[in-house]
Amino acid sequence: MYSEQMTPWSVLRDGIRLIVRFVKGHPAAFWLAVSGAAVFAGAIIASAWVIGWVTDTLIIPVLDEGVDPEGLILPAAGLILAVAVVKAAGIVLRRTSAGWLQFRTRQDVRNALLAHQLSLRMSWFNRQAVGDLLAVADSDVDQGTGVLAPLPYATGVTLLLVGTTVMIMAIDVWLGVGAIIGLLVVLVIDVRGSWITYGLWEEVQVARGQVSAVAHESFDGALTVKALGREDHVSERFGGVSDEVRDRLIKVNSTWASYQAVIRALPQVMIICLLVVGASRVGAGAVSPGDLVTVAYLLSLLAFPVQLIGFVLWDLAGSLAGWRRVQDVLDADEFMTYGAVQAREARDAAPLDGETVGFSYDETGPVLDELELHLKAGTTLAVVGATASGKSTLSLLLARLWDPDAGRIELDGTDLRSFSPSELPKEVSYVAQHAFLFDDTVAGNITLGEEFTDAEVRTAARLAGAEGFISELPDGFDTELGERGTTLSGGQRQRIALARALIRKPRLLVLDDATSAVDPSVEAEILRRLKGAALPSTIVVVAYRPASIRLADEVVFVDERRVVAHGKHEALLETTPGYARLVQAYEEDAKRLAGEAT
Amino acid sequence: MSGDQATGKVLGRAMRVAPALRRGLRLTLLMAMAGQAITVVTPIVIQQLIDDEILAPSGIDMSGVLTKAGLALLALAIGVVVGRAAVLRLIRSSSTGLSDLRTMTFRHLLRRSVLYVEADRRGDLVSRVTSDVTTLQEFMEWGGVGMVIAGSQVLLALVVMFFYEWRLALVAVVGVIGYLLLMRWFQRVLARNYDSVRTEVGRSLGILSESISAIPVVRAYGIEKGTTTKVADALEKRFWIEFRTARFGNILFSSAEVFAGALTAAIVVGGIVIGTTQGMSAGTLVAFLFLTNLLIEPLQIVVETLEFAQSAASGLRRILGVLDTEVEMSEPADPDHLRPGGLSALFHEVGFAYSTGGEVLRDVTVDIPVGARVAVVGETGSGKTTFAKLLVRLLDPSRGTVSIGGVNARRIPLQELRDRVAFVPQEGFLFDDTVGANVRYGRPEASDAEIWTAFHELGLGDWVEGLPQGLDTRVGERGGNLSSGERQLVALVRAWIGSPDLLVLDEATSAVDPVLDVALRQAMERLTEGRTSVTIAHRLATAEGSDEVLVFADGRLVERGRHRDLLARGGVYADLYTDWAAGTKTV
Repeated sequence: MYSEQMTPWSVLRDGIRLIVRFVKGHPAAFWLAVSGAAVFAGAIIASAWVIGWVTDTLIIPVLDEGVDPEGLILPAAGLILAVAVVKAAGIVLRRTSAGWLQFRTRQDVRNALLAHQLSLRMSWFNRQAVGDLLAVADSDVDQGTGVLAPLPYATGVTLLLVGTTVMIMAIDVWLGVGAIIGLLVVLVIDVRGSWITYGLWEEVQVARGQVSAVAHESFDGALTVKALGREDHVSERFGGVSDEVRDRLIKVNSTWASYQAVIRALPQVMIICLLVVGASRVGAGAVSPGDLVTVAYLLSLLAFPVQLIGFVLWDLAGSLAGWRRVQDVLDADEFMTYGAVQAREARDAAPLDGETVGFSYDETGPVLDELELHLKAGTTLAVVGATASGKSTLSLLLARLWDPDAGRIELDGTDLRSFSPSELPKEVSYVAQHAFLFDDTVAGNITLGEEFTDAEVRTAARLAGAEGFISELPDGFDTELGERGTTLSGGQRQRIALARALIRKPRLLVLDDATSAVDPSVEAEILRRLKGAALPSTIVVVAYRPASIRLADEVVFVDERRVVAHGKHEALLETTPGYARLVQAYEEDAKRLAGEAT
Repeated sequence: MSGDQATGKVLGRAMRVAPALRRGLRLTLLMAMAGQAITVVTPIVIQQLIDDEILAPSGIDMSGVLTKAGLALLALAIGVVVGRAAVLRLIRSSSTGLSDLRTMTFRHLLRRSVLYVEADRRGDLVSRVTSDVTTLQEFMEWGGVGMVIAGSQVLLALVVMFFYEWRLALVAVVGVIGYLLLMRWFQRVLARNYDSVRTEVGRSLGILSESISAIPVVRAYGIEKGTTTKVADALEKRFWIEFRTARFGNILFSSAEVFAGALTAAIVVGGIVIGTTQGMSAGTLVAFLFLTNLLIEPLQIVVETLEFAQSAASGLRRILGVLDTEVEMSEPADPDHLRPGGLSALFHEVGFAYSTGGEVLRDVTVDIPVGARVAVVGETGSGKTTFAKLLVRLLDPSRGTVSIGGVNARRIPLQELRDRVAFVPQEGFLFDDTVGANVRYGRPEASDAEIWTAFHELGLGDWVEGLPQGLDTRVGERGGNLSSGERQLVALVRAWIGSPDLLVLDEATSAVDPVLDVALRQAMERLTEGRTSVTIAHRLATAEGSDEVLVFADGRLVERGRHRDLLARGGVYADLYTDWAAGTKTV
């Protein structure tokens, strides 16, 4: 929709398209704002006419010709004041309606962004940096809709320019022609100046981004920098990018200042030239002195708004840049597809089957290939594999956070893709290694807003080994956790996330290294309790620690993108050397050390 | 107005800290003032034309008109040139001064203690050198320049008014002061409203950000509906408070237009009264109307900039606050040097407490001989990481002394200490650069061949050869292209390549898979012959192979000795070991 290379014309064209799109959402507010702008422009022209009228009927007769001011003063003062009141009303109408338009549009866009992102596949989400998505929803929406604020003002100024030319034309054709030429020159220089400065300003923003990136990196790595004694090197690097900002700022501001100097002076030049022409027309009796004052006054009132009109181009260009990033998200079309199957009411463990499952994240090659996995209902399975063997990927596929590229995964005989939206989570609970906690109470984090009794919450927490530390929190289960639950340790957060899954009594429970930050003895205790609790669940655990593996009914060893062995732990130790090597590394090392010591 | 005085004071201090800011400032201000003279040219020309030409009994003399216009145009041209030069000077000095200030602040922050930099305030630190400085910069270059120009315009307009007719000028002065007070009052009223807007904006953004970050969880638990409702509610609330506040502000500020109209009316009335009683020309009164017009816009700019100045000043105050705090760890006044060769370490009655009072290490006395391989174990919070940081002088003890190679650590020049003592923290932090460049942080002059050798020595040759571009492979932001275990490998080689005489590892291989972890340790044991190594161990396998184990609990060194002896003793270590072994035994 929007061209890549920005030129003043493309900005104008795309900008108008964007504005039309926004205006369609709230047309009433827009037209109210434009009406306000028209009142505002009319009031300014009227104020110049009033000053001219005051000059001709009051000032010159009284001060030059000695006429008695009696009866003239009050109408003059009243007229000036009345015009000011109308102008103020126009401003209020314009700005308030524009505010409505802008704030409502932002609200709409933010709601649309979230809804859209929730409808997309995780494969899309995973390719994005979360920080970027947050920036899109926050600053890019603000920036993208930024053009709506100055829009009514710009409309007002445009009307003002047209009105001014008409008014001056009406007073005198020669003055009118002069005014048109002058205003055109000012506009052209103004727009050109704004455009050039905008390009330079973009460079400043890039350089500022670098400063921020270097600062972030340096402080994040401060411990490393200090440990290596490299503070000077890093400071020099920072000084370099900071000076880059300095140089670019000097360049953009100097250019801007030069244009401004000319643009500020041009209306004055114009007034003086028109005064010369006007003086000769007064001499010829074509215009009155008051008319001449009106023309000069009007142009001097225009001097300030005209300076700003070039910036509308800035606002447009800035808006387009921000909106492009918003549009990229809204244009993403990797939608989730769903079937019509509903979750079962009955709560019993489900059998699980993966057939010829293949998956790859990108072109770097498959992560899983022709993987076969068949589990009877109620089995507890440990998935074991070296780093990056694909076991986490497998667990994501089992919970349908991703879809396989090839093959199928079936829960109780139903392909996961056949469930209708929000139904599969009633059957499958997934717990990731990184426990995400909401800014809510402990209980709220376990229920996630669904109806559960306090007893259920408590039971789930106990099962997850979390009841102990939760009861020691200031308000127990009602303790507010704060943003992302930063007050808790990693192990505590993981246990709350586990309770969140357990309370749902899923037919399939997938734990992806979900207790990695829990102390080994506590972890073993949790797993023992899970087995003893007779959950209505088939359980799949991605595990590292041999103790956790030992507790599983069955083990699959994932290597070379597929399941290479499936059976009892003890059997795999015998039959699969790769498996034995991986789970026995520490034991072997301990034996070696013990051997050395004796 | 005390806030404004404080603002002035803090700006003054900034100019002393970064002298580039005030270089030639006085001349600049004079030039800006002169440049602003262009704005009063028009009113004067109008007065001259009306009084001397249009209303002249002899009628209009076009040659006189042209002469006056010519002079006016000349004045305009000079004004433009001088004014532009002034702004350029202002831009140059402020940009230079602020860049200096930014780099200075960064350097200072980076020199602060690890405790300060490590605490959860990295976002704050970054804003000191980004948004705080940017606000200042924008204030100086837009607000500051605008204020100087606007201020000069008001001043010049008033001067010309007094020159024409002082009594009428007084009316304008009263108007200007009244206007300023009115606007300041409006702003204060509005500022209170904006506080609640900010709170609501922050709240709605918090909820929106959380929902986006939580998309995987939302999906996994099927809570899409509740999430969108929560966000929609927050956004609706935000809309109303933003809209109401903006509407209120619009009403307040548009009333300023009415005030401006009233001032113009007052000038007309006052002018007629003074003119009929004291005598004043028609041209003068018309000129007054034009001059009055010059007062309003700049006053608005001045008022807006004052507000801007306060937010700029609070940023500046934060920056100066940074520069005012002492760096905790300074270079020794009477340096002593390390002898070449292996390094021993000695802790004598060392204690460490945070400035907030929490004591994390108490009364630790221990000697680590040259060439020893020491393992340090203990539960989370036992003080073992603090012990490591004291050992490499990333922290100074609150009590007692730490000596390295027989020299009090406080007396060793920092660079010399860093060259001889290496510390590898757990997170394996990498810079957004290539693998090779990251290793060079450990020894800037290392050649590619030396880096290859270092990888091979540690048995990581296959790993580095398997990278798409070998040493030239880019690691991405914070090493994001590598797994956390791989990042730790690079961090380890980075320390290794400096051939440190004392190597301190703080859970430096926690994310490496077991097979590789064991291989790495075996390689290092082979190669650290004669060098001293201290390892904070998360896997007690490390402790089994060490010469000595130091066991920490509750900030104290509670046990020390060889693995077997400690195990036999049945104390803290034996408990830790049993727990760990339970987790690793396969049968």
